[in-house]
Amino acid sequence: MKPIIGITMGDVCGIGPEIVAKSLAAPELYALCRPLVIGDAAALARARDVVGAGFSIARLDPAALPEEIAPSPAAALCVDPGLSVGDLPYGEVRAEAGHAAFEFVRVAVDLAQEHRIAAIATAPLNKEALHKGGHLYPGHTEILAELTGTESYSMMLATPKLKVIHLTTHVGLVDAVARITPERTYQVIRLAHDTLARAGVAAPRIAVCGINPHAGEHGLFGRGEEEEKLEPGIRRAIAEGIAASGPWPGDTVFFRAMRGDFEVVVACYHDQGHIPVKLLSIDEGVNITLGLNGGIIRTSVDHGTAFDIAGKGIARHESLIAAARFAVELAPKRAT
Amino acid sequence: MTAPPLALSMGEPAGIGPDLILEAWRRARGGAIPAFAAIADPAVLAARARRLGLSLPIRPIAALAEAAEVFSAALPVLPVTAANPEVIGVPDPANAAAVTGAIRRGVELCQAGEAAALVTAPIHKAALAAAGFPHPGHTDYLAELAGPGCRAVMMLACDALRVVPATVHCALAEVPARLAALPLAEIARIVLAALARDFGIAQPRLAVAALNPHAGEDGLMGDEEEDLIAPAIAALAAEGHAVAGPFPADTLFHAEARALYDAALCMYHDQALIPIKTLDFHGGVNVTLGLPFIRTSPDHGTALSLAGTGQARPDSLIAALRMADAMARARAGAA
Repeated sequence: MKPIIGITMGDVCGIGPEIVAKSLAAPELYALCRPLVIGDAAALARARDVVGAGFSIARLDPAALPEEIAPSPAAALCVDPGLSVGDLPYGEVRAEAGHAAFEFVRVAVDLAQEHRIAAIATAPLNKEALHKGGHLYPGHTEILAELTGTESYSMMLATPKLKVIHLTTHVGLVDAVARITPERTYQVIRLAHDTLARAGVAAPRIAVCGINPHAGEHGLFGRGEEEEKLEPGIRRAIAEGIAASGPWPGDTVFFRAMRGDFEVVVACYHDQGHIPVKLLSIDEGVNITLGLNGGIIRTSVDHGTAFDIAGKGIARHESLIAAARFAVELAPKRAT
Repeated sequence: MTAPPLALSMGEPAGIGPDLILEAWRRARGGAIPAFAAIADPAVLAARARRLGLSLPIRPIAALAEAAEVFSAALPVLPVTAANPEVIGVPDPANAAAVTGAIRRGVELCQAGEAAALVTAPIHKAALAAAGFPHPGHTDYLAELAGPGCRAVMMLACDALRVVPATVHCALAEVPARLAALPLAEIARIVLAALARDFGIAQPRLAVAALNPHAGEDGLMGDEEEDLIAPAIAALAAEGHAVAGPFPADTLFHAEARALYDAALCMYHDQALIPIKTLDFHGGVNVTLGLPFIRTSPDHGTALSLAGTGQARPDSLIAALRMADAMARARAGAA
C-alpha cells in the first residue's frame, strides 16, 4: 500500500485550496501516495470547480476517521475540523482563515502522532491572517515545533538532485556564525543521518560546508571557525559511525553532491544552502522540517499564499507535488 | 592587421599549469582557441610533455610577434628560466623568480601593445610566499605592476553568469566590517565600465546581492543592507547606471533572475562562487577588471597532485583564453 500523506490546505483565502485541487486532479499524486487532505471540504469543492476538476469529495470527521483510508482520483478525502471557512473571499486576510490554517496543522500533527498519516505536506499559510486568528507564530515550523514539543529542529531544502540541511536559517549573517557550535553541528549531522536512515538510505554520506572561503584553508581565511565550531561535531558524528565529512569548501561541495559524492550537504547559514538549491530549481524546491518529536516529517511548498492570484486557477501546483514526493521519500519506512 | 596574440604565463611549474598549456595548444590547432604564446621555461614544458607521453613541438621565440606564425606548427614560448625545471607535485621556492618573472613579462607585453591580453596559469601562493613574494595572489601583484591608482576587481564568469565578490578571502564574520570600509559604488563603476568596454554591453545592468538572508527583511536580520548597500545603489542610480538591489541572494541566480542583469555584485566569496561553481563547475573564468590591460585566468588552483597525471581538465584555461580574446576584440572594436 502507498503511504498516506496528510496535505494541509493552508489559508483558504490564498492559493492553497486550488493547488491542492490541481494536485488531486494530477495523476502523479496518486502514483506517489494516498493523499488525505486536511482542510475545509467546502473550500476544496470551490477550488475544484475553479480549476475545473471533476473528483468528488468525502468529508471526514477528524475524531472519527474510518479504519481504511482509500482516496482515489475520482473520490478525494478531506479531513475537516468543521470551521466553515469555505466561502471566505479569495485574496483577503481573514482571522477565521488564519485560525483554520492553524487548526489544519494541529489536526495533521494529531494524525501523524497517531500514525494515521506517514508524513505531512503543507500548503502555504498567511502570517498576517495567522496572527489575526490569534496564533502568534512566525510560520509553520514554529507551530509544528510547539505542537510536538520540539526544541531543536532544522530546515532541509530538497530538489531531485540535491538535499541541503541548515545549521542556522533566519538570522543575520554575523549572528549565524556566532550561533554555530560543535553541539549544533553534531545534532544536525545526526538528524540528517537518522532521517535518511529511517527513510531507507543505508549509510548516508553527509558533507559539512565550511564557514569561511575555502573552508578556512587551514586557518588562512577566517578566525579558525572551522576548527572551533565544525570539526569537533564532525569528529563526534564519525566516531558514532556516521559517514560525515568536511568541512568542505562551500563553493565546490554542492557540485560534488549533485555528482553523487554525498546524499546531504550541511550548510552553515541560510544563503549558503539556499543559493544552490534555488538556482537549480526555483519551482521544484521543497522545504522540509526535520527533527520534530516523534520523527514527524513535514514538507512544504516553497512559495506563499499569493493572494493576488488566488481563486483564478492559474497557480502552479508543481511545488506541492514535489512536497508530496519528498514526504513519501523521507517518511520513515516501517517493516511491512 | 591581425590582432596581437595572447600571452599565457606558466604559473607554478610543479602544478598543472604546464599540463594545461600543452593541452590547450593541442586542442587549439583546429582554430577553436585563439593563438597564444606561453611565457614559460621551455625545459619545464618539455619535461612535462615527456611525463605525459606527448610528442609536441615547443618552439622558443624572441618576440611575441612571431607567435601567430609559429602557432599552427608549434607551441610558441617566450622563454623564462626556472631554477628547477623538473619539479612536479612539490613546488620549489627556487622557481619563484621565474614564476613572477613570467607574470611581469606578460604585463609588459600587454602594456606595450604586443599582447592582446594576459592569461595566467595558477600560481602557488605558499611557494611564492616562502620565497619572499609579498603579494597574496595574482590580483594584487598585477595591480602593483599596472601602476598607482589602480583598483583591481575580481569577476568570475561562465556562459550563464558573471559575478563579482566585493570581499574575497576574508573571514565570513569580518565581511560586514570589510564592506563598510570598501567603496562599493566605485567597485560597481569599475564593473559597469568593463561590461561596456570589454564585454560589448552598451547598457550594462548590475544586480547587487544583499548580505543577510531575505535581504535582512527590513532590518529584522541585519541592517547592512540599509546602511551599506542601499546607499551605494542609490548613488549609482543617481548617476544614471542600471543598478538594482539589494536582492535576497537565494533567488538571484536562477535562470529567470539571471536574464535581468549582466553581472551580480556579491558581498562575500561563497555568495559569488557557489552559483558559478554550481552552474559551471569546470568552465568558470576569473577576470581581473580595473587594470589598464585585459587579464583572465582559470578559476582553479595548481592542483599539485594532478600535475603530470593527464587528469587535469583544461576547460577553464581554454575558457579563459577564449574570454580574453573576446574581451580584446570588444575593446578594440569599442576604441
